[in-house]
Amino acid sequence: MGKDSIRIAGGQGFYGDSPMAAIAIAREEAADYIVHDALAELTLSILQKDKMRDPNLGYARDIEFAAKSLYPIALKNGIKIVTNSGGLNPEKAAQKVAEILGAQGVTGVKIAAITGDNFIDRLDEVQQQGNNLAHLDSGEPFSSVEYQPTHANVYTGARSVVEALSQGADIILAGRVADPCLTLGILAHHFGWDLDGDLDKLASGIAVGHLLECGGQASGGNAYSEWPMDYKLSNLGYPIAEVSEDGSAVFTKLKSQGGKMSRNTLREQLVYEIHDPANYLTPDVTVDLTAVSIEDVGDNQVSFSGVKGKPKPEKLKLTIGLMEGYLSEQFFFMSWPYAYKKALKMVEAVKEIWKGLGIPIDRMEHQFIGLNGIHGAAIDIDESQVEDMNEVGVRLCIKHKDAKTGKLAMQSIVCLGLNGPPGIISKPGWGKPSTAMLSLWPTLVERDLIEEKVEIIKS
Amino acid sequence: MSNIKLLDIASARSGDKNDICNIGVMANSPEDYTTLVEHLTADKVKAHFGDLILGEVIRYEWASIEALNFVCHQALDGGGSRSMRMDTLGKNFSSHLLRLELEV
Repeated sequence: MGKDSIRIAGGQGFYGDSPMAAIAIAREEAADYIVHDALAELTLSILQKDKMRDPNLGYARDIEFAAKSLYPIALKNGIKIVTNSGGLNPEKAAQKVAEILGAQGVTGVKIAAITGDNFIDRLDEVQQQGNNLAHLDSGEPFSSVEYQPTHANVYTGARSVVEALSQGADIILAGRVADPCLTLGILAHHFGWDLDGDLDKLASGIAVGHLLECGGQASGGNAYSEWPMDYKLSNLGYPIAEVSEDGSAVFTKLKSQGGKMSRNTLREQLVYEIHDPANYLTPDVTVDLTAVSIEDVGDNQVSFSGVKGKPKPEKLKLTIGLMEGYLSEQFFFMSWPYAYKKALKMVEAVKEIWKGLGIPIDRMEHQFIGLNGIHGAAIDIDESQVEDMNEVGVRLCIKHKDAKTGKLAMQSIVCLGLNGPPGIISKPGWGKPSTAMLSLWPTLVERDLIEEKVEIIKS
Repeated sequence: MSNIKLLDIASARSGDKNDICNIGVMANSPEDYTTLVEHLTADKVKAHFGDLILGEVIRYEWASIEALNFVCHQALDGGGSRSMRMDTLGKNFSSHLLRLELEV
């Protein structure tokens, strides 16, 4: 491999994604690096709960399986792994991976932990210093919040990834490094890009990272533009970007795997979770995607270029998780005849039971599966059209303050199995009681408050 | 004047950032993109979603990939981890939008 180009694969799109596509890429030596994004907005809340239960946890636990299955193959073939799966506990994640690799006789591997994004213990301090942590959308000060914070992490950039790679890391387990910055870090290291340098190159690196960060969603998964899909979904090949020094790239996928790489699949991933395409904000650079060129250049080969960069935003984004209460849900299904009318009768009975028992429910929502289950308030149910439906489902969802309330509420309506409308099925446990209801508070903090740390251990 | 379904001239993908849902709409051809730019307005999108979107809908034109991007505020019941809907992340906003009919 020369310095002219470098191959980076998107190996995982979320915490819990299958490692099979990345294993196939590692086996076929089809990439120089595999990036794994594990931290969706919600994931840090889940990891915080793990860490509260056990101070050794708080990282994305699928790295334990990856350390048994994927990493040894990748390392053997000279492929490096770069991921933010370290979550809230990158040091413990690194120790765990070292231990699992060591147990397999894979020793001498340099594993880097990147920390410094965790802000949970500093919220009071920064408010005392005069930052009121105003909500990014509403402008409300954080002091107006009545809920307890669960986690607080700052989205950080590519610099720590560059540093870890320059120290020879084979595996990088970062905290809240922003998803596309993992890829930019690899490119900046490989090509020697200055992170205060050519903005177009930096922006290109971010855009490539954005296209890789959701794994199979760039290569035929979840793609309306390819419907009806003429390819296999069971063994989707994940995206691989061969990136040149100027920041342009050619995207491919393994021939041996399913899925598809096309202008359409890549276009769909490009728009995903983007707001203003001329100003996609990241810690390292503001990205202008409006002049990109995406072209089919061969069988499952798509070229990507034309990304422009603008200076990075002045401040960094901090997201604070807030514990609002609990959510509980349950499902019922009604058969023909009168399916919809029976569903209405059922909802009425449930509301009366809960009211009669004085169960402390803050809010209740229901949907009719088959009618407005997915699209809710966007659907006007035409009652003349629902008379003859084969079946209708009911989903109940309640919000409550106390974890015990969910179980109690659902137990109190089990009696409707016998006492309810005729022709109904349900089972306790179809819906989950008392899951945490979290809201996220996005705000901004000064860059100089954040100091990232790279620590390397060996397996 | 005739009616065309968005499904017949475009594809769509939607996703979440806290309480904001964006829906990217990709035209099937450059001609279809011209139709989208002319007829698929932010107001029409907002009206199509009724009370599912409580805030503003902003439209961005993205000519290089023949796409429009709709950024819908206060669209996800407060955000994925607190939403009481089934589609907590708005992944199916794309599907609902594709059902829209345009008078052209």
